[in-house]
Amino acid sequence: MNPTETATDKSKTSDNNSSTSRNNDTPSLIDHRPEDDDTPTTSRQSDDTPPSSANGCAIALDCVQRAYGTTIAVRDLTLSIPRGELFAFLGPNGAGKTTTIKMIVGLLRPGRGSVHVCGHDMNADGLAAKAQLAYVPDQPFLYEKLTGREFLYFVAEMYGISCEDRDARLAQLIRRLDIGSFLDELSEGYSHGMKQKVVLASALLHNPSVLVIDEPMVGLDPRGIRAVKNLFQEHTGAGDTVFMSTHTLDIAEAVADRIGIIHHGELIAVGTLAELRAKAQREHSLEEIFLQLTEPDDG
Amino acid sequence: MDDLPALYTRSRLGLLLRVKAQSYTNQIARALRDAPIRLMATGLLVALVWFGLYMMFRLVFDQFRRTPLEATVAIPLVFNFFFVAMLFMLAFSNAIITYSSLFGRTESTYLLTSPLTTLDVITLKYLEGLVIASWSLVVLGLPLMMALAHRATNSKLAVLSLNPPGNEWTFYVLFMAFFLAFIPIPAAIGLVMSWAAARFFPRRALRFSAVIAAVAVAAFIFRGVRLLRLDDTATESWIRSFLSRISFIESSFLPNYWVSKGIDHAMHGQLSESVLFLGVTIANALLLSWLAVRFVAKRFDTALERASTAGSRAPRRAQDSAAGLPGLVFFYLPGRLRLIAAKDLRTFFRDPMQWTQLVILFGLMVLYLTNMPTLTLQFSTRGWALVIPFLNLCAVSLILATFTCRFVFPLVSLEGRQLWMIGLLPVKRGHILIAKLAFAMTVCVLVGVSAMGLATWMLGLQPIWAAIHLLVTAAICFGLCGFSVGLGARLPMFQQTSMARIAGSLGGTTNLLASVALVTVILTGVGVATWRSRELSVNAWPDATSFAYCGGAAVAALLAGAIAMWIGARHFAKVEV
Repeated sequence: MNPTETATDKSKTSDNNSSTSRNNDTPSLIDHRPEDDDTPTTSRQSDDTPPSSANGCAIALDCVQRAYGTTIAVRDLTLSIPRGELFAFLGPNGAGKTTTIKMIVGLLRPGRGSVHVCGHDMNADGLAAKAQLAYVPDQPFLYEKLTGREFLYFVAEMYGISCEDRDARLAQLIRRLDIGSFLDELSEGYSHGMKQKVVLASALLHNPSVLVIDEPMVGLDPRGIRAVKNLFQEHTGAGDTVFMSTHTLDIAEAVADRIGIIHHGELIAVGTLAELRAKAQREHSLEEIFLQLTEPDDG
Repeated sequence: MDDLPALYTRSRLGLLLRVKAQSYTNQIARALRDAPIRLMATGLLVALVWFGLYMMFRLVFDQFRRTPLEATVAIPLVFNFFFVAMLFMLAFSNAIITYSSLFGRTESTYLLTSPLTTLDVITLKYLEGLVIASWSLVVLGLPLMMALAHRATNSKLAVLSLNPPGNEWTFYVLFMAFFLAFIPIPAAIGLVMSWAAARFFPRRALRFSAVIAAVAVAAFIFRGVRLLRLDDTATESWIRSFLSRISFIESSFLPNYWVSKGIDHAMHGQLSESVLFLGVTIANALLLSWLAVRFVAKRFDTALERASTAGSRAPRRAQDSAAGLPGLVFFYLPGRLRLIAAKDLRTFFRDPMQWTQLVILFGLMVLYLTNMPTLTLQFSTRGWALVIPFLNLCAVSLILATFTCRFVFPLVSLEGRQLWMIGLLPVKRGHILIAKLAFAMTVCVLVGVSAMGLATWMLGLQPIWAAIHLLVTAAICFGLCGFSVGLGARLPMFQQTSMARIAGSLGGTTNLLASVALVTVILTGVGVATWRSRELSVNAWPDATSFAYCGGAAVAALLAGAIAMWIGARHFAKVEV
């Protein structure tokens, strides 16, 4: 995929994939299976196979539910994200985005259902799943008393990357993310944006099959945002997957292949921007669709 | 996991330890480059503390040399109690450190989403906690060892002599080996405690640890007080009864017994016996560590989930007035200052780290004070009648100094992130400092003067001396709070959000030294007055000179606090964030 593709180029239809929530009370932008069908997915690609299998799905959530005490944070979430897709995950504050992400990366276990990453069950085979993914949280972590370069070397060694490969890959990332000027300073002095860039570099260093990233553009300057967009598109173009949670709807609209909207723990809409518009039967912007779908409950 | 590369299935603890070592090396290198004087000052202070402890231990062993009978009984007990105390201290210290690093830091999140085994992550955190928490053994243990060795080489007392003479180096090596073998035991207990706190008390882990620590120490003190309450301390039956009551710490199943016995054998040149006890200690330390790490790694997921997702507490209903109930405490302050002070008081009560430490310190103080009259020590003479309240004043002053340095000094720095907002408020910046002083003074006076009031009442102190002690305590409160607020404003760390780091900064260290110096000056004044009055009759008033010493001490405290506040206010008025 050409990284300079425009936003409208991304409004392509996913012919071989889709996802759904099994909850029939959710708004109509979701494709629903017939009520008598008990199979846990409606993925077009896999109408006859569950999404949790390894057949091409980078991320597969199957009837996932997670509660905190009596509060259900995520309810019956079924979602398949194929390889090579850039998926934007949207939702109001407290909708269940972070809980979903934590279940995908193995920090939380679903109370019900299963999470598969590249065909590996995160609960039963977590190590194999984690070997395939990289996670960048909204508060990027760096060892404060290490330089950015030392941290990147550490990550490279953790993923078993040879010195030659590491140096070659690092040279690319340094150039693309423009981090060379501060990479040899202790990271305790970095700004949020600098930390974000180094953490992104560390996440991409081992070419993960799945990149899960929470609010990727916060703190980045416009040049950094462009660089990250391009990197994401190249990453998905190479057949890898990016799962991005964000509140920046412009970014989602510009780069996402598909968009999912979660509200009160339920996936209330998923599809390409064109599909969302078609189903809304109006030429809304993503912002208007989002606001319409996530209107606060009365009372 | 058949297709998982071997890289991910083998332990990568070595890599994790290497990166930690690199991190600490960078930290030291940076400190040497950027703040060598600060590093040297810290080193000097540590050396001073270390030397002070060494001299104190030497004095204790000197005292034992003069009373050989007591020494024969007491030396093994000293070691046993020392290692029992270390067992408790290190276990709690490890529990707190491990809890923070496993459940409260983004590093754990990062490591747990990486292709590392949970076992590797838990082992790393266990080792990290072990190293960080064992500084107390270095500070306390090394001077104890050196003092013991020094006395032993110059002693004819069997219990205190190295045998055969000249085996110091064997003794040093074995002593160090026993220390190193001992520390994994409390570290393993601490690891399991931190897991239990997260698993069973996820919302109130810190409060849980604090309460357990307080109960343990209170039980220890309560038992100690009961021992001293035995009727006649000068008889053989008292000694027998005393030894029988403390025999529980000499159980051969306890690690303090293995270490004490091993060191005792090392002193007397019984190498094979000493090495046997060393082997027992090492074997148990390794087994306990292995069990603890495996146990926690296997059950870590549940604890992590409980710690990170414990349901939110019931929402707090905002009161109509922003000051609310806490505002009533500051009725004497004008409106806006009352709001700021009330906000600080509310924060204080919602942070268990703050109020539990104060409650523990003063709770123990009250426990000791209420038991004081029941002890069978002879306090009837005039000298003791004044010395005991003076020692109480020393204890209360030091506790207050600890509290103000740890919790009051960071108050101004913690406003750093909000200074843009406070700067826009229609309040003079100097008034903000006055609100901080009012908050700190209110807490300190309520707690400090109450404790001293209870002490003087329990001891039946003469009213004039009771009044002197209470007034001096109030003056100390003002001096210490003025120092902490004033120096906190003069040497702030506005970018830092951690209270502990602000308290441990150069400004915090300066404040600590200044506070200790102030307390020393004040206590010297009261101490001289106490000494001068020791020969007076019980109901006689102190003479004018004694009054002058006490008055001078109080005035010094008030002046010092006021000057620090003035310096702080001048700087704070101009500060830019």
